[in-house]
Amino acid sequence: MAEVRLLSAHLLSARHVSRRFGGHVALEPCDLELGAGETVALVGANGAGKTTLLSILAGALDPSSGTVERPVAVGWAPQRPALYGKLTPRENLELFAALAGAPIAATDLPDRPAAELSVGQRQRLNLALALLGSPPLLLLDEPTASLDAERREELWSLLAEVAAGGGAVCFVTQNLEEVARADRVGLIEEGRLTFG
Amino acid sequence: MRSVLRILRKDLRVLRRSPLALVVLLAYPLVVAALVGLVASYANAKPRVALVDEDRLPASIEIGDRTFRIERTIDRVANEVTLVRLDRDEAERQLASGRIVALLVVPRGFVGDLRSMARSPQLELETTQGGLSIRVSQQVQALVYQLNRELSDAYVEANLRYIELLLDGGRGEFLGQQIDVLGLESARGLLDELPSGPRLDRIREFVRTAELALGETDDALRATASPIELIESRDAGRTWALSAQVQSFALALTISFLTVLLAAAALAGERDEGVLGRLRRGLVGPGELVGAKVALAAVAALVVGLGIAVAFGAIIELGDVEGGQPWSRLPLLATGLALAGASLGALGSLLGALAREGRTASLVAILAVLPIVFIGLVPREVAPAAAVLSSAFPFAHGLSFFTAALFELDPWTALLREAAWLVGLTLGYGALARLAVARLPA
Repeated sequence: MAEVRLLSAHLLSARHVSRRFGGHVALEPCDLELGAGETVALVGANGAGKTTLLSILAGALDPSSGTVERPVAVGWAPQRPALYGKLTPRENLELFAALAGAPIAATDLPDRPAAELSVGQRQRLNLALALLGSPPLLLLDEPTASLDAERREELWSLLAEVAAGGGAVCFVTQNLEEVARADRVGLIEEGRLTFG
Repeated sequence: MRSVLRILRKDLRVLRRSPLALVVLLAYPLVVAALVGLVASYANAKPRVALVDEDRLPASIEIGDRTFRIERTIDRVANEVTLVRLDRDEAERQLASGRIVALLVVPRGFVGDLRSMARSPQLELETTQGGLSIRVSQQVQALVYQLNRELSDAYVEANLRYIELLLDGGRGEFLGQQIDVLGLESARGLLDELPSGPRLDRIREFVRTAELALGETDDALRATASPIELIESRDAGRTWALSAQVQSFALALTISFLTVLLAAAALAGERDEGVLGRLRRGLVGPGELVGAKVALAAVAALVVGLGIAVAFGAIIELGDVEGGQPWSRLPLLATGLALAGASLGALGSLLGALAREGRTASLVAILAVLPIVFIGLVPREVAPAAAVLSSAFPFAHGLSFFTAALFELDPWTALLREAAWLVGLTLGYGALARLAVARLPA
């Protein structure tokens, strides 16, 4: 069973969550709580269960067992940009902002379909969608993938601001240098979550 | 509801930006409808039948005192088959290879028998064992029937000429022999010149009776030749291509393909784009997502269906076709299009959710629509089980709704019944689609 760490103000609390896909166990039952001001990194080999756990925490995937409490708004950026390729970045932002009831203040956006953007631009749009409404809790799956060095630094600065402002960040990474940005590191091996 | 409208607006925008998909979505069902029309018209096509003339039919023959143009008559009455004149060997070869479906042989002695009026001349028909053989037999029977009618008229005319000869007397021809006939009228004159007597009076009485009876033979003989006469008249009605059934069928077929495919692809597309997980995080529920696809299908059916109806109507008006287009019924048709589109959209959403992936969903939708359409076309009288099965799908109800809305004098019972079916099917398939979407991995 994974480590349970109780903080005074939980922005997310997952208890005994697990996930099976048919006969395959993608995620063993685990607990995870995220407190205000906290940054958590999830690492592990390909197929270990990181994305599955993050998707469950974000509410994009139902757990096979267990519960997840999210008392605050959650911003989620999946590993593969989740956006409409036929819509422009502005149209994507406007649609999801309208659905979430959040304002948008984006300027200087490319005026062509998202499918025609570079991989890095799509990833930035993916992150922008996660940041709509300035949610205090961010769940980001390999957020720096495809970003150039300048954009990566911008992102880390932004995430640091979120945590410093009483929010929390949980991100998946394959990059060990980025692990240093986290307060805690969770290792997922064959679906088992452990904190070192 | 706002979420449904927002997703619907997004889907319409995406559709507008996919011109190729839009063209294919519109063209495909129209092509299928045209192909079905071709198959249907093939059912009415004329099979090729070889005419093997072993008796060297003359251009015309004399029957009685009437000239009978036999070849022209065959050509005229053979409007149900395409007659190809071949020799026997070639005809046998073509029959074996399937290039012709039957062989109609005029054997030696045919014309002689025809002229003699003493025995029935014979035609020989040889067909393959294919599915068309029964139809060809029927058509050749119809041809022989028509020939018999023509000949019967000629025979009746010839027989009436003989009767006229018996009544009035004169010179005539029988079985190729020239004959002089006294005639009943002249016979009566001769009898009147003879002295009275019981035996002569009996002969006079017989001649008078025979004159009276033969005088009435004309109509009786014609009636015997054709006890029942069918009088055909052709009014300037709609052609098959513009008939009410075809318009309803074209509408139902087009919107079935369009909406099922559209809804299935649009729903599966949400997962393809990776946005399903984002939407499900409290932004758009599974029911709202299905509702948006149902609404998309209803809008597409309404726009395309009305476009087709207006195009049909324009052709009908320009062609000054009998009956015209029932323009006042368009609001009823619009209601039916929206209901049928919604119902088909719910079915498409279910298929899209089950298929999970856009290309698979499109394939599944096409594979599903074809049998649904064809089973909906099987008449209840032919296969009751097929009719029961088709009632579980929106196509048959849409077809009935459109037919009633456009062409029935008192459509309300049918409209209410079919509307209830369509609403029920929308709710049923919609509920199943909602369950499938909820279980769909992001």
